[in-house]
Amino acid sequence: MNQDCKLIRQDILTVSHKSGQGHIPTCFSVVELLYGIYNIIRHKPDDPQWQDRDIFILSKGHASLAHYCVLAKYGYFPIDRVTSFGAFMSDFGCHADRLKIPGIEASTGSLGHGIGLAVGMALAFQTKKSDRRVFTIIGDGESNEGSVWEAVMVGVNLQLRNLTIFYDDNQSHARGLQINNAAGKFRAFGCEVSEIDGHDLLAIEDACRKQTDKVHVVIAKTIKGGGCSTTANNQYEWHRKSPTAEELQQLMRELDEETI
Amino acid sequence: MRKQFRDTVIDLASADDSIVMILGDVSVYLFKKFQDQHPERFHNMGICENTLVSVGAGMSAQGFNPFVHTITPFVTERSYEQIKLDMCYNQFGGNIVSCGASFDYAWDGATHHCHTDLAILRLLPDMEVIQPGSDRELDSLIRSQYANGKPTYFRLSDYPHDIKLDAEFGKAVVLKDVGSQITVMTAGPILGNVMQAIADLDVNLVYFHTIKPIDSDVINRFKGSKILVVHDAFGLHEALCSVTGLSLSLHGLPDEFLSWYGKLDNIRGKIGLDANSIRAYIQNNS
Repeated sequence: MNQDCKLIRQDILTVSHKSGQGHIPTCFSVVELLYGIYNIIRHKPDDPQWQDRDIFILSKGHASLAHYCVLAKYGYFPIDRVTSFGAFMSDFGCHADRLKIPGIEASTGSLGHGIGLAVGMALAFQTKKSDRRVFTIIGDGESNEGSVWEAVMVGVNLQLRNLTIFYDDNQSHARGLQINNAAGKFRAFGCEVSEIDGHDLLAIEDACRKQTDKVHVVIAKTIKGGGCSTTANNQYEWHRKSPTAEELQQLMRELDEETI
Repeated sequence: MRKQFRDTVIDLASADDSIVMILGDVSVYLFKKFQDQHPERFHNMGICENTLVSVGAGMSAQGFNPFVHTITPFVTERSYEQIKLDMCYNQFGGNIVSCGASFDYAWDGATHHCHTDLAILRLLPDMEVIQPGSDRELDSLIRSQYANGKPTYFRLSDYPHDIKLDAEFGKAVVLKDVGSQITVMTAGPILGNVMQAIADLDVNLVYFHTIKPIDSDVINRFKGSKILVVHDAFGLHEALCSVTGLSLSLHGLPDEFLSWYGKLDNIRGKIGLDANSIRAYIQNNS
């Protein structure tokens, strides 16, 4: 495991323990994706509104804690600020508010919205003939929403070659509405599709660099709760749970030993 | 009113590169001239109202002033959450312009009726809600509001009234003040029927083209009188109720789907919103 990604997971666990909040498994599945995307896109942590920056939108907004911890790692704000996660009057809610947090481009949380905003922003850059690019992460569970597929169809129809969609294939959808052969579905919709290990940083960064003549969808195979065997093997129990002091110690140990 | 919408937007777009048209496969031929003049800023995005709004919000986030346009129930009721979150909560403003107000499409039945749009949209923080009654009002209100960065709703009708009024955003128009103890308040195209109804009645008449923000100053001016609200949609009555201490009653819509087909006048006649029925209502409550 990349050392920074391990530290980010430690931050997620610590903040979740202190705050009593957090969707740890869904956060753990996207740590490498977030870290890798921010390693490639054009952005300036000391100037979050830099006019030439690329855009990243976390459409699966319930992984906000992972997003905060990655932004902190890149220097947008000190990690100490994030420990107020979910508290009354905190800037750091369980779903991010773009008006409160530097680096957050869209307030998401209700599933199936961020990707539509991403299509709109990509269309704006295409219209302006700007080379700015738009990246988003959608969840496989989120992709039960019809609005996801509407947005994909529109993006394809508009030939948005500046739009990259990471599909977090952590098998959340398996609980309910099955999305079998996601890659085939996106190809059938007219996207360029890549399939990668969503915990492989080099593969993630290569996928970010890749530009085609189509909307680029990256099917990222991930492990929900990946990093600790307890969270990976007990997803239902840990879906929205904060660790006790004892559990935190156990999870930190597993993380350090890379049990999964 | 749609032609006026087109003419106003085409005129504005000739000098404003930030304007983009996002159509839901409606009014496409009507906007052909816009498409010819600004092909890169014209999108018939298809019949996907949720995404029309989200994309409009995304373009707004990057400096454009979008006009998202399609049929009323689909862009308001179906896409309410997109308007609420993508435009209002995110503060990515834009213009939602609907066609087919209330029972304009009477013949299409209740699937194409929309009488809740004004009422539900006025509940959203920072939303501007406009029901122009005429082409003249529409032109003026689009020009003053379209580029202010806020989410703004314009409700078009195919049956405007023909009364010539100047419209200033957020300002009600006092059409008749005879010092009566009865004040009729109405909004939008049905003003034509109301004017006919009260022609020789000794009542005050106040007209609204802006539902949100509601003009509380003018409402308070008539606070001492009994207010009779006449409207063919929900929204005005609720907005008036936000002013405390009023004595008002509503002559509006029944709690049922008005699925009788026919034409707008047929529907208005059946529910008592034709001029004669409005007159009778006012006389009975005076």
